[in-house]
Amino acid sequence: MDYAIEIHDLTVAFDRKPVLWNIDAHLPAGKLIGILGPNGAGKSTLIKTIMGLIPAGSGYVKIFGQPLKEVRKRVSYVPQRETIDWDFPVSVMDVALMGRYAHTGMFGKLRRADRDIALDALRKVGMEAFANRQIGRLSGGQQQRTFLARALAQRADLYLMDEPFAGVDAATEKAVITLLREMTTQGKTVLVVHHNLQSARQYFDHLLLLNTRLVACGPAPEVFTPDNLRDTYGGNLTLLTDVANLMHQEQHPVRENKLQQE
Amino acid sequence: MPIGYEDITILITGTLIAICCALTGSLLMLRRMALAGDAIAHAVLPGIVIAFLLSGSRSSPFMIAGAAAIGLFTTFSIEMLQKKARLQNDASIGLTFTFLFATGIILLSMLAGQVDLDQDCVLYGELAYVPLDVWITPSGTVMGPRALWVTAVLCLLLLALIIVARRPLLLTTFDPAYASAIGVSVPFYHYLLMGSVSVTTVVSFELVGAILVVALLIAPAATAYMLTDNFRMLLVLACLAGAVAVAAGYAMAATLDTSIAGSIATANGLLFMLAFIFSPQHGLLFRKKRKPVIH
Repeated sequence: MDYAIEIHDLTVAFDRKPVLWNIDAHLPAGKLIGILGPNGAGKSTLIKTIMGLIPAGSGYVKIFGQPLKEVRKRVSYVPQRETIDWDFPVSVMDVALMGRYAHTGMFGKLRRADRDIALDALRKVGMEAFANRQIGRLSGGQQQRTFLARALAQRADLYLMDEPFAGVDAATEKAVITLLREMTTQGKTVLVVHHNLQSARQYFDHLLLLNTRLVACGPAPEVFTPDNLRDTYGGNLTLLTDVANLMHQEQHPVRENKLQQE
Repeated sequence: MPIGYEDITILITGTLIAICCALTGSLLMLRRMALAGDAIAHAVLPGIVIAFLLSGSRSSPFMIAGAAAIGLFTTFSIEMLQKKARLQNDASIGLTFTFLFATGIILLSMLAGQVDLDQDCVLYGELAYVPLDVWITPSGTVMGPRALWVTAVLCLLLLALIIVARRPLLLTTFDPAYASAIGVSVPFYHYLLMGSVSVTTVVSFELVGAILVVALLIAPAATAYMLTDNFRMLLVLACLAGAVAVAAGYAMAATLDTSIAGSIATANGLLFMLAFIFSPQHGLLFRKKRKPVIH
């Protein structure tokens, strides 16, 4: 089996307090993979460590069987929305073009082909009509799609996304998940930090349950069990009832909710 | 009032300084680090005094290097206090630069008798002296005002830097996480910019002073920020705003017979107010007419 990401005995600590403890996981290529866990479980930290943004205390990560340095161009990253300065003087097209920097280098020329690829990425996420708009003058969903377009323009093989559905409208969430599905059918691997238990089961092929330690990692139907979720979310009462509800819904498919949403 | 040779050299030097400050100041502002620029502008004082003591001359390369080093030290110290002492960003800035600036003041007053470095000149600057300090080569050729040459070289270097490295500068400013994800060294560009700010500050020091260099760093950038949503345009407009403020300020100083640096800083403030009120995009007057964001 081909693995997109191999995580070996990974431990990450801030101020000697472990945020990730002894994580060992293999994530398959060509799948839509969700990282689930409570707040402070280390979900973002895991993604940032995979990207090399945070140094690992011990252990290591391999991407497509190689160290990150060798495969940087093939890996793209979509940051959390609140880390971006939305007043920054850049347009939607400027952001999409940044996706090409990984290929042209910082000093190379941006060719017509690069512009076409960026524009094509904007078209895929339905943002080409806003190409010249400053990013602060977009809705939350449009902003998220702009950054997705940048990742697409990079034409990577592995996409790491930190909470792409936070502050996004239902229509965008649906459009984005469809697009991500389409990407996985083309052999791309998509790793998404997710916080919504309700939708996790439907969205992902593969799940990684995290709470500082790795609780479970595997195909979604196998991993998404009450025991695992209880282990992940601990004694959090409201969440436990959520879990109970979810299990209940599992027996009676969520037709009603779906109809309401649409 | 007729414009003579002296006025022209002062105006050109002032404009070049304003452009240098506007370029570095815009990048600082976009990084939400305008105050770090303020800090560096003050903190380089002890560096200047010490370098002056060691080399015995002003605006020598030695002095610029010394000040650049202390500028980087300031940046480093602000970050260290934030990380290791867990101080807030503004507290770290306030602590670092006041300490260094005060050290500079003490050095300066202690050595007042020995060095030809005037306290008033360092604090408030004096553009009017530009034509008096002439660069004469060892062979005796008179090259014109030394400050003019220094600022022109700095201006060209900064322009070249920003044109060549515009992409990494933009990317590391806008989205440092993505920048380092695709392999760009964020700390390198951070310190490159801080080094540029330090050098710019030192060169501007004796001309506009430690305090008013801050106005030149921040005000033109803020004015341009009111007028455009485009990165390249922001840099161009900031330079323009800086240049206009120099011309207007100089005219004002000549008419009212008052401090040139003070007038230029005031002109900068007035320009910002004009942009703030009348900007077609972000101005007070037109803000209500803007199309609402479609969600």
